[in-house]
Amino acid sequence: MAEFSTSVRENGDISIINLKGFLDAHTAPTLESNFTQLINDSKFKIVVNFENLAYISSAGLGVFMAYIESIRDNKGDIKLTNMSDKVFNIFDLLGFPLLYEIYKNEEEAIKKFSGS
Amino acid sequence: MLEAKNLKVKRNLTALIDFSRIINSSIDLDFILNNVLLTCLGKFLATRGLIALKEKNKIVLKSSKGITTELLQEFPELEATRDCIDDPKLNSFMHIANLKVVEKISSSDDCIGLVCLGEKLNKSEYTEDDVEFLGTILNISATAVQNSMVINELRNVNRQLDSRVQRLSSLFELSKEFGSFAESYRVVKLLVFSILGQFLVQKYAIILFENDVPDILDSKFDNEKLLQLIKRYELHKTPDSIKKDFLKVNHNELLELGVELIVPMQLQNKTRGIILLGSRAGNRDFFNSDIEYIYSVGNLAIISLENNRLFLEALEKQKMEEDLLIARDIQRNLLPQTLPEYDKYDIAALNVSSKQVGGDYYDVIPIVDEKFYIAIADVSGKGVPASLMMANIQAFLQVICQQGMKIDEATAMINDLVTGNTSEGRFITFFWGYINNKTNTLTYVNAGHNPPYILRGDKVIKLTKGGIILGVVKTFTPYIFEEVELKKDDVILLYTDGVSEALNLEFQEYSEERLERIAKSLVKNSAGEILNGIKEDVQIFTQGNTQSDDITMIVIKVR
Repeated sequence: MAEFSTSVRENGDISIINLKGFLDAHTAPTLESNFTQLINDSKFKIVVNFENLAYISSAGLGVFMAYIESIRDNKGDIKLTNMSDKVFNIFDLLGFPLLYEIYKNEEEAIKKFSGS
Repeated sequence: MLEAKNLKVKRNLTALIDFSRIINSSIDLDFILNNVLLTCLGKFLATRGLIALKEKNKIVLKSSKGITTELLQEFPELEATRDCIDDPKLNSFMHIANLKVVEKISSSDDCIGLVCLGEKLNKSEYTEDDVEFLGTILNISATAVQNSMVINELRNVNRQLDSRVQRLSSLFELSKEFGSFAESYRVVKLLVFSILGQFLVQKYAIILFENDVPDILDSKFDNEKLLQLIKRYELHKTPDSIKKDFLKVNHNELLELGVELIVPMQLQNKTRGIILLGSRAGNRDFFNSDIEYIYSVGNLAIISLENNRLFLEALEKQKMEEDLLIARDIQRNLLPQTLPEYDKYDIAALNVSSKQVGGDYYDVIPIVDEKFYIAIADVSGKGVPASLMMANIQAFLQVICQQGMKIDEATAMINDLVTGNTSEGRFITFFWGYINNKTNTLTYVNAGHNPPYILRGDKVIKLTKGGIILGVVKTFTPYIFEEVELKKDDVILLYTDGVSEALNLEFQEYSEERLERIAKSLVKNSAGEILNGIKEDVQIFTQGNTQSDDITMIVIKVR
């Protein structure tokens, strides 16, 4: 079975989720629980770092869709960073750049949060 | 003079070579078109211009400078023929857009596009030389444009292919996951995630139909309204997906709620649920291929949900069967294990519980040497609840029989106790009495039970005195008791409706008449023989049918 794990760090009032491995239908609940936890803790400024993510399926992408509304309703956002070309290609194919800000690295995303 | 002309030609040539090098070094179509257009404008000092290219046999506008968007919208639909630039529609557009000259871009005699240029800054007309030079520029551009068009096309095809591969792998992954899930909430979650991710949708609802009644499994719409509309529009009958256009005309309230697409989830051609989706990001429509994908995912999910339901049903059934075993156990333990023996009375009793386990109860309770109680009861309902009520009755009886109370008053008290202790709608038909050894009498009260018989030779006496069945209302009319004198060879037969109402395969009842007849014919035998005779006769009658209710009998023969 494909491995997937996440870790959450704090940078000021911004929470950074690191993804590692394969995010698919089977592993999606792990990321889901990260989001629900952050929302419960009223932490709505979220950066997701994809650097160590090898694969994402549409069910994995769905997790982002499922929580973005309530996060933006609370003046927060999910910003995505450090995607490999392969992962970006899937996001791009499905039209995610329309809805999400995607940055080269964490610093840019964090700067964007502090700027607004 | 000649030198000046030579210099001009040389400059033109240098510019052309430069231009050629630049556009041929790129495969970015936008970059190339931009360069071609700027070069033309610069060369002829024109302030406006456009490039259109062949796309699926049409000439489509690709790039422009200095022309307002309103004007650009007027650009006509042109066939990509060899003489595309002679089209009168193009001529009239050039006129309104103030474009003065047009030249085609050709690749091996095929028209792959055209360039239009506006008037020169110095208002001078385009000379023959100018047009020839424009032709040269476009000839140089043609290969680069053609190449980048092919590459663009390839890119598009590649992307479509990527998209298809991505969908297929999603479907494959989901089918694997759906197969391994046991809990339906996870199936629904996955279904939702995969659709949201695939189509960038934020609002959705997943509805299941249980006997055509909608059940919301998950939803981001106004649930109350949604349910109302689903019922009103009878969406459980939806055989096909419903798109925005149809909603607009027929179910506009759903559209107002935010629903833009409804896709049925089907099992064996029956709609078992529906997926409702809100708008896609960027106002994109759902295409047929999208709907097909959602349909496939939905059908995968419904199989999983249905398997789930069947599994739970099997569990429930298993639990019910365990319940019945418990009920049977309780019942068995409540009935007397042995019957008391008397010189003057030959007693036999029988209880055959049905598969469902009804609420039959009987008891024979010896008090002192000269007196014993007999009781028979049928609690409404089946299974554990009926058994528990039986247990109550038994406990009351055991206590009351020892108190020496009058039997009519005792019955009133039992009724009050039962009424106070039962949930609504439950009741007990109950007959009890005691036989006095010395006086050889039976004193009884019948609370709505099938009247027991006393068979005396050819005569049949029915024991009907008493009152209302137990458990319906508290006693307000006192129960009546009766004392019957017993004679030698009398047979007392007590039974429950499981005997008289036993059904044969034609759904006919065994009937009290038949019971009376067979009992009369057996009256000369012992209590045990009479009991067995009746039991066998019932079995003959019901042959082939399963026993649907408990069968209980007590036979007492006076010696």
